[in-house]
Amino acid sequence: MMAPFFKFGLFGDNIGLVVAFGIGIGFGFFLERAGFGNARKLAAQFYFTDLRVFKVMFTAIVTAMLGVYYLSVLGVMDLSLVYLTPTFLAPQMVGGLILGMGFVVGGYCPGTACVGVATGRIDALVLFLGIFVGIFAFSELFPLVSSFYNATPMGQLTLPQVTRLPYGLIVFAVVLMALGGFAGAEWIEKRMAARTVES
Amino acid sequence: METRPAQPYWNPYVAGVGLGLVLLASFVVMGRGLGASGAFASTITAGLNTVAPSHVAGNPAFAEYLKEGTSPLKDWLVFEVLGVFVGGYLSGMLAHRVTRTVEKGPNISTKRRLVFAFIGGVLMGVGAKFGRGCTSGQALTGGALLNAGSWAFMIMVFAGAYALAYFMRRQWT
Amino acid sequence: MPHFLQQLSLNGRLAFAAFVLGFLALFAGTPYHGADAVLNAKELSLTMATDADQVGVTTLADWIIQGRSDFRVVDLRSEAAYAAYHIPPAENIPVARLGESTLQHNEKVILYAERGERAAQAWMLLKAKGYQGAYLLRGGLEAWKDSVLFPRIPANATPSQVVEFARIREVSRFFGGTPQALAGDSAGRSVVLPTLSLPAPKAAGGAAAPKKKKKEGC
Repeated sequence: MMAPFFKFGLFGDNIGLVVAFGIGIGFGFFLERAGFGNARKLAAQFYFTDLRVFKVMFTAIVTAMLGVYYLSVLGVMDLSLVYLTPTFLAPQMVGGLILGMGFVVGGYCPGTACVGVATGRIDALVLFLGIFVGIFAFSELFPLVSSFYNATPMGQLTLPQVTRLPYGLIVFAVVLMALGGFAGAEWIEKRMAARTVES
Repeated sequence: METRPAQPYWNPYVAGVGLGLVLLASFVVMGRGLGASGAFASTITAGLNTVAPSHVAGNPAFAEYLKEGTSPLKDWLVFEVLGVFVGGYLSGMLAHRVTRTVEKGPNISTKRRLVFAFIGGVLMGVGAKFGRGCTSGQALTGGALLNAGSWAFMIMVFAGAYALAYFMRRQWT
Repeated sequence: MPHFLQQLSLNGRLAFAAFVLGFLALFAGTPYHGADAVLNAKELSLTMATDADQVGVTTLADWIIQGRSDFRVVDLRSEAAYAAYHIPPAENIPVARLGESTLQHNEKVILYAERGERAAQAWMLLKAKGYQGAYLLRGGLEAWKDSVLFPRIPANATPSQVVEFARIREVSRFFGGTPQALAGDSAGRSVVLPTLSLPAPKAAGGAAAPKKKKKEGC
């Protein structure tokens, strides 16, 4: 197995930065293709009129998940060398809640805000600056929040480990859930569209 | 003035596959996933470091972005985010979707929209710190890797957004 | 393409593909094959034949004195043995923990143990796991003691041997050893190993720590 290439020393940190730039280009490109440079498109998710946030996100997750799984099963890739951010359950859940609130209030997330700025959205620029302020405020107040920030550490933890079920089974479950979600999303969008026609 | 009309967005599933392949490429080539909020933190750290280095060194929330012997900006995520700008612009240009505008619903003023955008950004910054990432790093990357904390984070993101959606409806609908 | 697939929309085909791949995942097994290793017998035997797998003790001594930091030295023995004495810049990775170590695949790693057997086995393991830069220290710690710490010069040395010995004597003193004057005089050979108050290991050890702390989060 030769992948992940960087972890096997095929190139160094500096080329890694070039790779970062290239991958970022791909990332930004597809985000904009999906319409995520536009706050109205993003926020529509939470009013059930356009559920593309869910569709794009989970299609991406399923695609990458299947890719990682099969490349690892075939021995092309060493999964244990792919970095997994450690789990801190409580602060991450609180963080998610706050981020979600920020999402519907602001209309972008950090990544999509960059795409918004790149395509001229002034509201994206304002949100972009707000993120700096938020991070700065958090960091300045860090001594006050640090014990919660570091609470409930669980190390690098995967869903197969938590459920004690085989990795492949979780993969299948995620695919099923996503496909079911997509079907549900299509149905909801149709109903919402019909309702707007009626009113 | 922009005379060509903006092209419609791609089929979201196709865009999702594209995004997923980019994420997969990151795993295969670098052994890591995507991210965004970390680049913001590195940038602040770099900026503060020039005027108040001891303050930065003394605060773990900043210090973790310091790099030995080089600027905090020489960071994988910083370069990735620079690429995001370029890629987003490229796609926008190709589709004639680059315009200077403020995205908002019909029932809110531009000024109020921008105030909310700012507040949203602040919340994002705080949430991303507690969450150890944002939708790119935690939800997409961690989601694909079946990271337990990331899935918990992702569910709460949707929960938080839906919870507040009713109160924000004036802004969008 | 089967008839029903032709009838499906693009979305339908994507969904079908996802479902099939998801379903197959139930039977495809674990993705964690990290414990497996691949031995390229031909490549390894050629490496062994040309001695490209080894580093001599005097070469290593020179590298340490020159202050080179482009390699790591790994002591495969127990923690107790390591604490008693180890080659100055060496890190202790007992053989059992070799798999979990922080060694990078493209780093130059010089392995040693008492003589050569353990180091040779560890070398084979690391090479099979894709570590391109693994080397073993020829002769292990025994050779280090013989040639670096306690070098001997034959009684009837040639002039060039005398000159060479003068240089080796300096190397030996650098590491706190005791050069011996006569050959085969094992009685006079000091069995007290130098204490480890030597030039501190270069940031080679430190280079490992920041690498581990490197954030790959988001």
